[in-house]
Amino acid sequence: MFEEYDEYRNKIREFALKEFTEEMAAEYDRKEEYPDELRKKSLSLGIIDMQNPAKVMIAIEELCRVDAGLGIAVTTPYFGSEVIMLFGNDRQKEILQDVYKGKYILGLAVTEPSGGSDVAGLKTTAMKQGNKYILNGSKMFITNGAIADYLVVLARTSEDPNPHHGLSTFLVNTKSKGFNANKLVDKLGVRATNTAELQFNNIELNEDDLIGEEGKGFYYIMMFFNISRIYVAAQSLGIAIGALDRIKSYIKENDIKDEDSMFRLSDVGTHIEATRQMTYNAASYLFEFKPKPELTSMAKAYGSETAVYAAESAMEMLGDKSLYEDVQRIFRNAKIMEIWEGTSEIEKLVIARYILKGE
Amino acid sequence: MKEENNILKETVAEFCDKNLDEKKIESEGITHGITELLASQGFLGATIPGKYSGSELDNTSYEIILEEIAKNSPSVAMKIFILNSLYYPSVKGTSAETTLSDAASGKLNVAVDFINRANDIKENAGKLSGTLINVLGSDAEKIILFNENTSIISGPFGYSDRDFMGFRGIKFGDITLDNTATVLDSKNRKGEILEASYGPLSAIALGMISGALQKAIDYTSVRKAFGNYLKDFEPISFRLAQFRSTESVLRSALYGEADPYYVFNLAMESIVEIARYSVNAHGGYGYFQDFGVEKFYRDAIVMKSIFYGNQELRKLAEHVYSEKINFV
Ligand SMILES: Cc1cc2nc3c(=O)[nH]c(=O)nc-3n(C[C@H](O)[C@H](O)[C@H](O)COP(=O)(O)OP(=O)(O)OC[C@H]3O[C@@H](n4cnc5c(N)ncnc54)[C@H](O)[C@@H]3O)c2cc1C
Repeated sequence: MFEEYDEYRNKIREFALKEFTEEMAAEYDRKEEYPDELRKKSLSLGIIDMQNPAKVMIAIEELCRVDAGLGIAVTTPYFGSEVIMLFGNDRQKEILQDVYKGKYILGLAVTEPSGGSDVAGLKTTAMKQGNKYILNGSKMFITNGAIADYLVVLARTSEDPNPHHGLSTFLVNTKSKGFNANKLVDKLGVRATNTAELQFNNIELNEDDLIGEEGKGFYYIMMFFNISRIYVAAQSLGIAIGALDRIKSYIKENDIKDEDSMFRLSDVGTHIEATRQMTYNAASYLFEFKPKPELTSMAKAYGSETAVYAAESAMEMLGDKSLYEDVQRIFRNAKIMEIWEGTSEIEKLVIARYILKGE
Repeated sequence: MKEENNILKETVAEFCDKNLDEKKIESEGITHGITELLASQGFLGATIPGKYSGSELDNTSYEIILEEIAKNSPSVAMKIFILNSLYYPSVKGTSAETTLSDAASGKLNVAVDFINRANDIKENAGKLSGTLINVLGSDAEKIILFNENTSIISGPFGYSDRDFMGFRGIKFGDITLDNTATVLDSKNRKGEILEASYGPLSAIALGMISGALQKAIDYTSVRKAFGNYLKDFEPISFRLAQFRSTESVLRSALYGEADPYYVFNLAMESIVEIARYSVNAHGGYGYFQDFGVEKFYRDAIVMKSIFYGNQELRKLAEHVYSEKINFV
């Protein structure tokens, strides 16, 4: 599947191997800073093509294979763009074009301090007053939160008895009065990405800041997750292959032949192949506009477990050698896969619901 | 557990609550002040003989100290372990034995190196040169080198910190030997020293399991999702309950009659999974240092990577078969 992109894949791999040097990956990991120069470079070289989701998926996989911290940093400035692409108005789509050109950085803010799994339980409000919406509340763990120019924000616009019905999405300019971002530090991994806590204090939003229709926000975000979870599965796939690359070279360099190591190698390889098949399969439905959320959630949940399993295997197999190699960074990066864009537990709830719904 | 052991357990727990600020230890390292406190309590030289100002405690007491401290700070527990389970047996009966007084009183920092090989070091008229990469323990005056031989190297050394993921309190760093360091003693003792460490290492692992798990149990008792406490969701509370069973059985085994090989095996086979799931139960908060749970996951995998590999599994299998096995 997706063999037609092999040439593109090679180009991305070359870019990652050339630009994501060990020194650079270690430096941004240590400093916990966003590598903006790398973002600009990746754009100027046409590494990211947001018009083609298959290319995005492949780029994510190949970049994360070399280093997930830098790989995600380079591919995440567009986070949330699909919501605008699918439901946004002309003005918002113009802003999106500037995001694609690298003029602006975007982010998507759903999670709140009181909860991320229960999306419909969120507390941020954007109540209508005259022809304005007044945004109040706070968001937690928002990627790009402190560096974004615009954020897609999910907020409650009415107290509908069905909690899913009263939510709407807005495109919020981070220069708005009443916006405050506080960068969160000391993450376990993906430390080249920016994560922030946000406060919205009586931010005035215009009607044309509303994305799509009022009251449909929950459904837009769930649709977005159908896409973004494929990308997380691709991040996981990349991380797992990266871990396998390290295991393979360690085995070869040290002429390791024992069966215990061979069996572990084979288990990691099998998990990776299953993840690849599941991810590409779910992606091919999605890219033909026939998303199958259960397949997406399976790929995301299984893929993230694979990333963690492969990373832990690399640590254990390289033993004390893993400690001063990039392997320990792979290990720290991998764990986020099981948390963001819906934890594994949330994916399992989605999967179970669809299985029961099916024939 | 005997009454006096319970008293010791409570004393150590109280000491940790009062004196060990784990977040600070993770970011600033184990300060001299903490080392002095550990020494004054007799924890630092737990098993070191009284004639060297050590506490000369029995194994159970030593393991209780390690477990209780590791619940709070795996780094501090590891520091005590290095002095008592690695340094003490390495210098015992050698000319370096007298340095144990400094070790027990907190005046001697010891680093351990499992990674570098003998040919990373050059010797010239008794003086050493070379670089040792990623040595566990910073600002050391002595290094125990576990390679082909077990060597004690005496400083001064050059030292530079490395970014490192596990046991941040004692840090990993690169040590340069600049024609000033000397070998104090060198014998092949690695096997016997590490084997005798199974109990103490299991005690640290148990403390880490217990510390991580307690955080997850506490968090899932107060955090809500979908209007329910996290503990109300079966997959969460069932899993945490299952881990508590493992923890409890492990503790009984460690302080009971169980074979240290099996205790160590159980500890190493469960520690990473329990620490990982404890992070999970915290959702996004678990991914940040502030919540004090991700460190258990980092420390767990580092511990497993250093102390539990193919060699240990081979030893375990031979222990079970009671004979040397010709592994293919
Ligand atoms: C580095 C980082 C970057 C992030 N970036 C973004 C971002 O850009 N935008 C954004 O909106 N969010 C972002 N997030 C937030 C992330 O999506 C949430 O952390 C995640 O969805 C979990 O929410 P929570 O942290 O509130 O955990 P909770 O919802 O409180 O869940 C805690 C635990 O309970 C489990 N749980 C919850 N409900 C159930 C149930 N019914 N059954 C069984 N188990 C359950 C969860 O799986 C989890 O293990 C980011 C998080 C991190 C750490």
